[in-house]
Amino acid sequence: MGVMDDPLRRPSDAEVGAALQQNEVMGGPVRLPGGIALPVQIERVLGFGRSFSFWPLLFGLACCAIEMMALGGSRFDMARFGMEAMRASPRQADGMIVAGWCTIKMAPRVVRLYEQIPDPKWVLAMGSCAVSGNVWDTYHVVQGIDSLIPVDVYVPGCPPRPEALWQGLEMIRDRVKQSRHAYDGLRRIPAREVLLHGEPRP
Amino acid sequence: MNEGLDTSLTVVLAKLEKRFGGRLRKQTECCGDLTITVEPEDWMRVLSFCRSARELAFDQLDCLLGDHLPERTGAPFEVVVHLLSHTHGHRLRVTTPLAEGQDLPTITGLWPSAGFDEREAWEMYGIVFAGHPDLRRLLTTEDFEGFPMRKDFPLRGTVGGRIRTDLRGKI
Ligand code: SF4
Repeated sequence: MGVMDDPLRRPSDAEVGAALQQNEVMGGPVRLPGGIALPVQIERVLGFGRSFSFWPLLFGLACCAIEMMALGGSRFDMARFGMEAMRASPRQADGMIVAGWCTIKMAPRVVRLYEQIPDPKWVLAMGSCAVSGNVWDTYHVVQGIDSLIPVDVYVPGCPPRPEALWQGLEMIRDRVKQSRHAYDGLRRIPAREVLLHGEPRP
Repeated sequence: MNEGLDTSLTVVLAKLEKRFGGRLRKQTECCGDLTITVEPEDWMRVLSFCRSARELAFDQLDCLLGDHLPERTGAPFEVVVHLLSHTHGHRLRVTTPLAEGQDLPTITGLWPSAGFDEREAWEMYGIVFAGHPDLRRLLTTEDFEGFPMRKDFPLRGTVGGRIRTDLRGKI
């Protein structure tokens, strides 16, 4: 029983500890319900299909979200790439664009949204704030969202131009086609580490 | 001094002066806006008068703010309310100086919307609002230490706000 099987269920301390003991690794090949791994060719076909309908989560944290909206609007128009359907529910999304700074108060909600997105999922950290905390080395800003969730693509800038975000999304699409995820090979997502030790790894 | 004020604000000032006389500490007027400074003891009385008197009728509390002015050693804190009257279309600012550790009666009984503002002023400046129904931290995590908007709070580093809360209950 994996820690991540049911995101709604809160694992107990003992379960998290046991999963860590077993070195449970996330990601890996797509598996059918019986546990049989799909042949890699089929996974490539699936990835090809997915890359043309990547639906990000409709979710912006701060000022960077304005540029994300610009990308969604008609001038830059990410609908050209099948990304226009920003889903308001994490259950229907394929990934998230962390657009803006994440406060410590908001951090548990961001992690919860991340965990509610079904696998496979991809994360794009948009803006210097989500990448590293930017100038907000202050009392309430998480210094880089990658201390909490695994990030696929970093788009620096304050804010990044819509073209930069577009390029980041193109890089995400490459990863979708290749079925590569930031959480591949991770034993646990970093937020779980915070659960256990109280602090993210430096 | 009052020639820049609207007639309705002149009435407000006259009414307040008539009612509270010498107890108003100061009144300033800038760009047609009126600000009065009152003693903390008069806070409740002045504000309930502002709300209920017919010529004042401040039915909306725009916002309630705290402020920290460390150079004023006697009373380094200040609470400001911005009031708006929809009946007369005039605005008023009421401020009061506060000493460290001095508390102020809550005005949630007059304007319920003051609840969030007072919580914020408390968590950011440590100004206690006596009688507030639910004085909890609003924007920072509940195990945060210190009052981050005070001028002596360190600017850099996630002091007091490290991720120490048990995230399990929150995720
Ligand atoms: S990177 Fe700049 S634009 Fe983006 S959230 Fe941070 S401060 Fe705002």
